[in-house]
Amino acid sequence: MHIVKINIFIGILFYIFIGCSSSNEKKEYELLYWSSNNSQEIEFAKIVISQWNEMHPEAKVQYQPVPEGQSSEEIILAAVVGETTPDVYSNMWQGDVEIYAESGSLVAFDTLDGFNEFIYDRCDTSVMIENTSLDNHIYQIPWKINPILMIYNKNHIKNLGLDHAPSTYDEFFDAAEKFKKDKDGDGYIDQWFGYSEVLVTWWQRFFDFYPLYLAASSGQPLIKNNKADFDNEYAVNVFKFLRELYKQKYFPQERLATREDPFLSGTIVTRFTGPWEISHAEKYKPDGFEYGFQHIPVPANSKGPIYTYGDPKNIVIFNTCKKPNLAFQFAKFLTSKKNDFQLLKLTSQYPRRKDLLTDSLFVKYFEKNPELRVFAEQAKYVRGTDASSVLKEVFDIISQEYEACVIYGTKTPEEAIKDAAFAVNLLNL
Amino acid sequence: MKTRKITPYLLVAPYILHFVIFVAFPVIFSIVLTFHKWNIISPMKFSGLDNYIRLFNDTLFLKSIMNTFVFLIIHIPLQIFVALILAEILNQKIFMRGFFRAAFFMPVVVSGVVVTMLWQQMFAFDTGLLNRVLTTIGLDKVGWLVDPDIAMSSIAVMATWKNVGLYVILFLVGLQTVPPHYYEAADLEGANRFQKFFYITLPMIKPTMFMVIILSTIGGFSLFIEPYIMTGGGPLNSTISAVLYIYKQGFFYYHMGYASTLGLFFALIILIVIVIQKKFIEREK
Repeated sequence: MHIVKINIFIGILFYIFIGCSSSNEKKEYELLYWSSNNSQEIEFAKIVISQWNEMHPEAKVQYQPVPEGQSSEEIILAAVVGETTPDVYSNMWQGDVEIYAESGSLVAFDTLDGFNEFIYDRCDTSVMIENTSLDNHIYQIPWKINPILMIYNKNHIKNLGLDHAPSTYDEFFDAAEKFKKDKDGDGYIDQWFGYSEVLVTWWQRFFDFYPLYLAASSGQPLIKNNKADFDNEYAVNVFKFLRELYKQKYFPQERLATREDPFLSGTIVTRFTGPWEISHAEKYKPDGFEYGFQHIPVPANSKGPIYTYGDPKNIVIFNTCKKPNLAFQFAKFLTSKKNDFQLLKLTSQYPRRKDLLTDSLFVKYFEKNPELRVFAEQAKYVRGTDASSVLKEVFDIISQEYEACVIYGTKTPEEAIKDAAFAVNLLNL
Repeated sequence: MKTRKITPYLLVAPYILHFVIFVAFPVIFSIVLTFHKWNIISPMKFSGLDNYIRLFNDTLFLKSIMNTFVFLIIHIPLQIFVALILAEILNQKIFMRGFFRAAFFMPVVVSGVVVTMLWQQMFAFDTGLLNRVLTTIGLDKVGWLVDPDIAMSSIAVMATWKNVGLYVILFLVGLQTVPPHYYEAADLEGANRFQKFFYITLPMIKPTMFMVIILSTIGGFSLFIEPYIMTGGGPLNSTISAVLYIYKQGFFYYHMGYASTLGLFFALIILIVIVIQKKFIEREK
């Protein structure tokens, strides 16, 4: 009798489980689209989806923001492993694409009809070279960027007697020397010219070393033909520049993350950051606080153009998609001029398209919003990341050497760059 | 009769199932992984002994193990010393004893992340409370988390503050098992406070002491949250613990095969340390 009860109980559990599973099955195949889960992009995605579904009642798209997690990268990884990926995902960091391409998790766009005409209409050849994988296929549509520039406190720059923010290393040093101060007289500097996180976390280098390297080298890659390509004068000069900032205490050697915003409180004058800083500054800046953006500082002999890191997020189609051609049509719709404009307006993120400064729709918008134009001007000169499945390790190695040389001065810039390049070449690139 | 034969199996089935799925399978799978390269999303590739060869050439892993031992060497004696003193005080009939017992235990139940962030602010070079106190009394500031020679000690101090309450309770239990007439006899013999502590209390709480050492050792080997949040393993890798390094290999770089190899090797080290401790304890008994 007891066993019978247990069997009934297990049976009930089984049917509940089966019932739950079957309720999730789709009756008709509809594309599933995931976007980033910040509120502005959710708003943008909802508008785009409703327009698409209205125009294509026979091929509706289901929408959901990427599920909450520690990071969207982790969620995507979990989805790939569990084969629960959406058909289309629009927040794929360019640096992650290679690892998924290598594993066969993505659909190659260049195998789909009409892709080449579409993409070269949208992007320059240089952008597409950057977005081509090691197997010579293209697995991503360059969608949006957030160029890293130097934000500066206009009031402080004016008070230092300068008519513009420093744009070369030497100007930077001069201004920094004038500004650094021990305000409370305790023998320690407590007012610095700039700040960058001193943590060795690999992606922190997207906000100091990498944009400075791209600026100094006019956009040269870190990795070329599967080998380190940064053992050069540009990287050494960037390390020398950064080392000087810490050695002379123009930048603090400690983390300032646990206190009030050092930029808005006037403790620092500059910071390397992206356009997201605008909404933050507008919300929290004190009365009379004025700020501006400028390109990343370069050596005095730099001929330009001055590049920076663009933090690109792209559109991919996962191989779980049963209708890749339809997914591509949807991706095209998502990146149409009208929707790119909508993206810019709603999210202040910049579509990665070559007509950003020439098309009248965008030109008029930047005339009305001049504070955003500086990023649009920079958008032509941004780089993403190089195609490599060990990109995080590469940046981690650079970060370790950065800490040893730049922060603590235990290695010379030449040694640090050489050691980093040597270690990167050992990664079986 | 048949029912009787099946019933015991049914009763142990949930545990066996749990053991197989969550213990046996992961352990066996991770051993298999040590002979493979696997980044979770691509198929596993057999790599022979490559992961083991890499391990013995990985100076950073060696450093992470050394760091973990440095942490243990600072943390365990400090923890025992502080816990024992507090337990001794809290075992006396002092004012608001119940309150203090609860207060010292409170950090144990607070989230490790919260405690770590709190101490991060206290340790801050420029604005931290500790350095403000030091400069107020005319001393130099200390780079609690930015000086490679000091950072691990700072973490050990913080970990001690977080966990000491648990060991205070354990020592309190131990102290209360010491028969009072031992102390009465010692008083009659004219023993002073220190003699009573060293000749009666310490020998009597030896079992508790051993338990505290073993628990602290196991806890110390799993050092992760503190360096992960406070320092990221820096400065100059001076606070990267073995577990943090294994985590980075596994979940930053998705080197699952290599992370498993490191995990297995580290488990062997822990086993050796625990066996040595056990031998020592048995000899002492």
